[in-house]
Amino acid sequence: MTQLPPNESVYFDAEYETMPREQIAELQLELLLETIAYAYEHSPLIRETWQAAKVTPRDVATFDDFYEKVPFISKDAVRDFRDGRGDPYGGLLCVPTDELTAIMSTSGTTGDPTLVAEKWGGGSVGRPAIMYRDFWGMGVRPGDFFSLFLFTFRGPTYGFVQSLGGIPLLFDYDLMEIERLLRLSCEYRPTAMYNFGGTMILATADIAERAGIDPRDAFSSYKGMVWAGEPLGARARALADEWGMPLFEHSSVGDVTASFECSMHNGMHFWEDTVLVEGIDPEAVDHRDAQAITRDGERCELVATALTNRVAPLIRYRSDDIVRLARTPCACGRTHARIWTIGRKGDEVIVAGRSVLPIDVWSAVESLEPCRLGLFQVIRAQREVDVLRLRVGYQDTPSARLGALADEVAGAVLAKVGVTPEVQLVPNAELLRLGPPHKIPRVTKR
Amino acid sequence: MRYLVTLVALGGGVVSDATALWGVGTWVDRDGVRRPWEVSHTEIQRAMGHSSRVLGDLGVGPGARVLWCSMLSEAAQVWPFIVGSMLSGAQLSCADATAAEAPRVAMFCRLIDYRAVMGVTGAILDGLDEMGLAYADVFGAVAVLGARPDAYHRLTTAGLAPQHFALVGPAVAVAREPAGPALVDDAEWAVDLIDGHVAVTTKSERPTAFDRAVTCVRAASTSGNEIACA
Ligand SMILES: [Zn+2]
Repeated sequence: MTQLPPNESVYFDAEYETMPREQIAELQLELLLETIAYAYEHSPLIRETWQAAKVTPRDVATFDDFYEKVPFISKDAVRDFRDGRGDPYGGLLCVPTDELTAIMSTSGTTGDPTLVAEKWGGGSVGRPAIMYRDFWGMGVRPGDFFSLFLFTFRGPTYGFVQSLGGIPLLFDYDLMEIERLLRLSCEYRPTAMYNFGGTMILATADIAERAGIDPRDAFSSYKGMVWAGEPLGARARALADEWGMPLFEHSSVGDVTASFECSMHNGMHFWEDTVLVEGIDPEAVDHRDAQAITRDGERCELVATALTNRVAPLIRYRSDDIVRLARTPCACGRTHARIWTIGRKGDEVIVAGRSVLPIDVWSAVESLEPCRLGLFQVIRAQREVDVLRLRVGYQDTPSARLGALADEVAGAVLAKVGVTPEVQLVPNAELLRLGPPHKIPRVTKR
Repeated sequence: MRYLVTLVALGGGVVSDATALWGVGTWVDRDGVRRPWEVSHTEIQRAMGHSSRVLGDLGVGPGARVLWCSMLSEAAQVWPFIVGSMLSGAQLSCADATAAEAPRVAMFCRLIDYRAVMGVTGAILDGLDEMGLAYADVFGAVAVLGARPDAYHRLTTAGLAPQHFALVGPAVAVAREPAGPALVDDAEWAVDLIDGHVAVTTKSERPTAFDRAVTCVRAASTSGNEIACA
C-alpha cells in the first residue's frame, strides 16, 4: 500500500526530495555498486560488453572508477544483440522469463519497438518516486479527478492515479477525444492531466469553438497539465497562456526514467535515487575518450544508469539525446538535478554544411494557417544532404492553392533556418496516421 | 521508455471506502456515442472475480501469455481482465486497438508465443493490410483469438477460427470457443435485443444502473447471458 503524506505537505517524500546532494551521492554509489554487480552477473549484454572492455564490478569502487573504466551501452548494441542472438530482450533481461508478469514494448517512434520486460511489485528496489512525487508536487490530492489521455501499450500503469487516491477520467490518445475531454472537465473539474501535447492544444481551439465550450472554463480546475513528446511551438504556447493552462513539461531520461517540471518551470527534475545521469561530449567515440561535461547548462549527450531496476537495468546507456543539465539547487526546494532536452543526435541533418534539427523548422511550418497543427517530417536519407526535404501536413486548402502554399512554407523555412527546402504537402490525416499525434516520427528516411 | 518498469501500482492502494469511485470510463450507445460511466472499486473487484473465471476458461493462467488490444477509454471494462491476466499468473502484453498499432501487434506476435490475443479490431486488421501482412501469418499460431464484431468475419474469411469478443456497453462479452456465443457475466448483466442491437440491464446493485440500455453491438439473438453475434 502506498503511504501518502498529509495533504498539506508540499512534497510527497520530503526526506528524499530535499536530501542534501552529498547524501544523494552516497546513496547513488551504494545503489550503483549493487546494480553493476547484479547486472554483470545476470545480463548477457552487460557482461559481454564489460568483458570486451576488460572490466569487472570488482574494478569499480568509486564514481571515478565507473566513469573511467565502464563501457557505454547503445540502443544499437541492444538491437544488435536482439537480432544477432535471437534474444527479444536484447541481452538485458536479468530474471528468468517465467518470472516476468508483463512484456510490454517501447514506443517505436525512433525505430522498431523493442520489448520491455516487467515484474510487477518486484521490479524495483526503490521508494515510490516518479509520478508520485511529481503529481503530488503539482497539487494532486486524494479524491481529485485526474484526466488521463494515454495509449495503452505500457500496460495498466495508470494505476498510479488510484494509488495517489485520485480518480481517473479515461480518454484515448486521440484528437477525437478532445471534445469529450472538454465536456468532462467542465463536469468533474479534474486537477491534473497526463498527457497533452502541442498538436492536442492546437486542435483544441477549433474543437472547442465548434462545441461551444470555452477552454478557459474547461481547464480552470487544473493545477497541472503535463505535456511531453515534442517541443511546444509558439502558437500552442500562446493558446495555453490564453486559456490559463498550468503546463508542466515531461520527458524521458535516457530510457531509464523520466523527468517532470516542478512549480518553478525551470528545467525538469529527475529523481537521482533511481538514476545516475552523466553528460558527455556527444562526439566521443567510446568511454575511453568521452569527456565529462559537468558545467551547469552546457550542451551534452545524456548517459543514464538505472539504480533501482532489478529486471533489465541499463548501465551507462548512451541515449543519443542532446540535453542540458543543472545540479544546482532548485528554488522549489528539491535538491535533485534538472534537465532540458534539445534534440536527438540522430535527427540532425547537415544541409550544405548547416546543422538543422526538427525544432528549428517547427515555428516556420506552424506559422502558416493551413499548417497550424505543426505536423511535418524531415526526410533524411543520410546525415549530410544538399537539399533539406520536408513533408508538411495541411488542412482546409483547395488543391488549386497547394502550389502557392508549398512556396509559402519554403519561404518561411528559409527565413527561419537559412536554407530553402523542397516541400511536399500531404493532408494532416496522412501524417496523423503514422502514430499518436505527439509521436509522429519527425525524421524519416523516405 | 523503460522507466515504467518501476511503476508497480495496481490501483486502489489507498482507498479505504470500496464504494468510492475507481474511475470514469465510457460505454458506447447504439449511435456510437461514448457515454461516461462511473465505476466504483466494488464493481471492479466483482469484475476481477468474473474475469479470473473467464481467463481460466480460455486457458490463460500460469505459463501462458496474453496480448490485450484495447483503448484507454475502455479501461473500466477491460482493466479487470488486463490486471486479472497478471494476477492469474499469465504474462501480459498490451497494445492500442488502432491501425497505427498494427506494427506493434505484429511484432509482439512474431516474438512471443501467445496463448491468447484478445480484442482484435477491424482497425488493427486495416493496419496489417497496409503492412501487407496476412492475418493467418500474424495470428496463425494463437490458440485463442478474441475478435471484435468488426474483425470477426474478416478473420474467419482468412481461414482463422476467432472467438467473439465485444464490449457490450458496460459489460464484456467473451465467447469460450470459436463460433460459440459471447457470454456476459450472468451474475451482473442481462442482455436482450432491441432493433437488432444488444441492450444491457444491471442485475446486481450498482451506483449506475442500466435498464435496457441499447449498445452499439448488433446481434442475431440473445438468450440469458448469451449473445449470438451478428
Ligand atoms: Zn524544482
